[in-house]
Amino acid sequence: MSKEIVNEEAPSSSVVVSTENRPFGSLRSVQWRINLGVLPPFLSSSSIDDLRRVTADTRRRYAGLRRRLLVDPHVPKDGGSNSPDLVMDNPLSQNPDSTWGRFFRNAELEKMVDQDLSRLYPEHGSYFQTPGCQGMLRRILLLWCLRHPDCGYRQGMHELLAPLLYVLHVDVERLSEVRKLYEDHFIDKFDGLSFEENDVTYNFDFKKFLDSMEDEIGSQGNSKKVTSLDELDPEIQTIVLLSDAYGAEGELGIVLSEKFMEHDAYCMFDALMSGAHGVVAMSDFFAPSPVAESHSGLPPVIEASAALYHLLSVVDSSLHSHLVELGVEPQYFALRWLRVLFGREFSLQDLLVVWDEIFTADNCKLDKDSENNESSTFKIFSSHRGSLISSMAVSMILYLRSSLLATENATSCLQRLLNFPEKINLKKIIAKAKSLQNLALDSNVSSLSSTFGGAYNHSKSAVVRAHSLSSDPDCPKTPLLVPDSYWEEKWRVLHKAEEVRQDSLGNPTPSGKKRWSDKVKLSLSRTESDPSPARAENRRKGHRASVRRNLLDDLSRQLGLEEDAEKGGCLEASNTEDIHSIDVQVEGKNGNNNESICTAERCESGSGTVVSEENSSIFSEPASPGSDTNDHENDTEKSSVASNSSMYENDDHQQSTEDSPLPVSLPPEDGSLNSPHGNESSGKIVSAMKERRHLSGRFQWFWKFGRSNVSEETSDKGGGSCEAAKSPNHDGKINTADPLIAGASRNSSSTNKGDAVDQNVMGTLKNLGQSMLEHIQVLESVFQQDRGQVGSLDFSKNILVGKGQVTAMTALKELRKISNLLSEM
Amino acid sequence: MVLVLAIGDLHIPHRAADLPPKFKSMLVPGKIQHIICTGNLCIKEVHDYLKSLCPDLHVTRGEYDEDSRYPENKTLTIGQFKLGICHGHQVIPWGDLDSLAMLQRQLDVDILITGHTHQFKAYKHEGGVVINPGSATGAYSSFTYDVNPSFVLMDIDGLRVVLYVYELIDGEVKVDKIDFKKTATTHATH
Repeated sequence: MSKEIVNEEAPSSSVVVSTENRPFGSLRSVQWRINLGVLPPFLSSSSIDDLRRVTADTRRRYAGLRRRLLVDPHVPKDGGSNSPDLVMDNPLSQNPDSTWGRFFRNAELEKMVDQDLSRLYPEHGSYFQTPGCQGMLRRILLLWCLRHPDCGYRQGMHELLAPLLYVLHVDVERLSEVRKLYEDHFIDKFDGLSFEENDVTYNFDFKKFLDSMEDEIGSQGNSKKVTSLDELDPEIQTIVLLSDAYGAEGELGIVLSEKFMEHDAYCMFDALMSGAHGVVAMSDFFAPSPVAESHSGLPPVIEASAALYHLLSVVDSSLHSHLVELGVEPQYFALRWLRVLFGREFSLQDLLVVWDEIFTADNCKLDKDSENNESSTFKIFSSHRGSLISSMAVSMILYLRSSLLATENATSCLQRLLNFPEKINLKKIIAKAKSLQNLALDSNVSSLSSTFGGAYNHSKSAVVRAHSLSSDPDCPKTPLLVPDSYWEEKWRVLHKAEEVRQDSLGNPTPSGKKRWSDKVKLSLSRTESDPSPARAENRRKGHRASVRRNLLDDLSRQLGLEEDAEKGGCLEASNTEDIHSIDVQVEGKNGNNNESICTAERCESGSGTVVSEENSSIFSEPASPGSDTNDHENDTEKSSVASNSSMYENDDHQQSTEDSPLPVSLPPEDGSLNSPHGNESSGKIVSAMKERRHLSGRFQWFWKFGRSNVSEETSDKGGGSCEAAKSPNHDGKINTADPLIAGASRNSSSTNKGDAVDQNVMGTLKNLGQSMLEHIQVLESVFQQDRGQVGSLDFSKNILVGKGQVTAMTALKELRKISNLLSEM
Repeated sequence: MVLVLAIGDLHIPHRAADLPPKFKSMLVPGKIQHIICTGNLCIKEVHDYLKSLCPDLHVTRGEYDEDSRYPENKTLTIGQFKLGICHGHQVIPWGDLDSLAMLQRQLDVDILITGHTHQFKAYKHEGGVVINPGSATGAYSSFTYDVNPSFVLMDIDGLRVVLYVYELIDGEVKVDKIDFKKTATTHATH
């Protein structure tokens, strides 16, 4: 244990934490123990005895724990019972209760811990890699994990523990230095100091000594100070009293003791992990599943990461939206930041300063009765410490602001975030964090977070999100964080608005400009009036990407939605709206209707789960439509999920690139995969009208489906712009929009059947037939393309696509029939 | 805390089909660090099975072993102990303590492990231990059919070795324990 470590490089800036509430400023271990709740708060000088007593108690507890849980199978269990049950207690025993069994289990745990410990702080290896230190760390972690079997050992816990042990070590060294330093000068006084005299100096005014603490911190080896007894005494007295072997609880009560470093470190670690009855408990961050009282149903670390982003959006919305566009989800970097409390971002000395700040912040749950909406607050914001942690993270992100804004690539963004620079102005960062802390605590901010849970699914996001990470920089827009209730509200608003706007549709241009909006409008209009031929006509116009873009633009404009990254969400909302309206009018058709209803319902819920990789995974299933024949409902659900995301896709896709007709046609073709598929599953080839409606609905859905299908297949390909465009959109949004639309279309088609008898519709039927032909042609061409693409992909994907192709072909044939019928009419 | 398995005389497939299931269930990979096999496995499959329990396998040649490359004797050091292995059919009279002690002195080992008699034996003799793990499958021996399946597990910890003897008697696994401490003067102690 070299002294060098104590005098290592100074913190990158001379940050001195405010010492109003830090009576032991220079003795971090004591201070931290007080802050973490291990020791009682140091209120007055007389409470040193309390400190000692509590210290002793905690140490006793740990010693007992160690005795109990560390197993040495050689030692007879009951202190020498003559006949241990050898059948149970032999090394090969399968009995889980046997000491040997426990021994082997512990050995496994230790092996896991060792894997991490061997890589701990190699740059400070002279302390951390010594066998003594490693042994202590290993034992502490082992015992903690045995004590908390539900948590188990997770990588990162060792990094939380290491600085704690380090500060203890530092303080012990400090103590020995002080002893050495002052023993020379005080040797007589030291011995001659009777306890009465101790008390005299003990009553020293600690406020004064706080000031002197500032000086003391830098004056370790400063012999000048030695002479002035007054200045030194309080601190030294404290140290002496804390380490006096004759104080309360004797040796066990020596607060700064080398013998009991392991015990103290364990207590600190335990307090840190469990939160000591506070709000922020580090062990929550290691939990893979949502905690019991989680409002959002997310793993706490995901929730906390979302909180970070929320705070960032409040503070610096441009940076936030930039990161969101790139698809940089907060937990990519925040996971590490939070789990290790920034241990990997700062050097050790800097980290100690940061932790000083964090631990000084109180961890009690704050009462926010103004916004008593329990479900709307981020848990992490409900304590000073939690909000300081999040504001610290935000401040760090802001520190990298310029370099983050400069990148157009999610990967490089993450690189910058994960490799926090070495030379930093820590003072600035901490000051900023403190200023943000108040903001974070502001009840308005924290409650706005509301219903964040909907935005994430605790699915294995990382895997699928990786896809989005490799997205083409040309398509930065990926709407990401959308609170659940936000869209529902939007939907309600739109639904009302929609009825008002029924007649105010834009000019239906044959170019299909309005197709999207028309279709939506049409479906909406089902609730109120017969479909007008013009509208029906417009429904089935070209497949131009530009058209689509216009459609979306129109739709959003007409529906009065914002023209921003959240447009997709709005569209999605309008889709839900459609579905609902359609749902209303759905008559008791055959299974299709029922399914449509179910679809609609699911679409509702589907829209709720906006961003989810689950969706992506579900979405991949539709990629093999042929296999889902029986699972129509499943399909519609997936498609509803898909349609939501594809809404985004549409939006992004169009807005970002000039798509050739080809990619656009892809979706419809693929869509038709499912539409005939849907037809078959419903078991009927309805009337032409129904087909029409189906097709129109499917068109949307297929378009997205096709896009996502293709994007799935080509997500890794540099590909054409269309693929590139698709892949970013693939990131989970993909699925949501599709099913909605598909469902909507199905619904509408089923309802249309009833209305189809209208004479006026005949003309539109012809038009529909024509468009169906177009569809078919597009489909075929798409399949040509698909096959080409497929050839370059995994075999498994080929199989999926192949299946889809088969169904698509049958679908095509049916389309042909229908179109023939229509044209005859 | 080194666990060493001493096993031998399985005579698979000639005299026995397999280890008793109760033994097999106990022998799981991961716990044992070394396996010492006195010989007469007899086929490669048994060798592979033992290898799967622990990669560090030492085998000496028994008279029925089909792999002729095994050595007649082997010595190795584990912790503070020197171990010697020999099948035992070379030492005549078979199973005679004095003759085995001669072999032990010859190999200069603290622990001598031999087999062939298919009877479990453990002697403390002249500062060393002579162990016969018996037959793990209970195969009949050259002079008797009455054989209980048995094997030995040694727990070597510093200067102390604890022997756990596992015997299958009437279908039940019986475990026995023998302690042995090595002293610098190599005098036998109890």
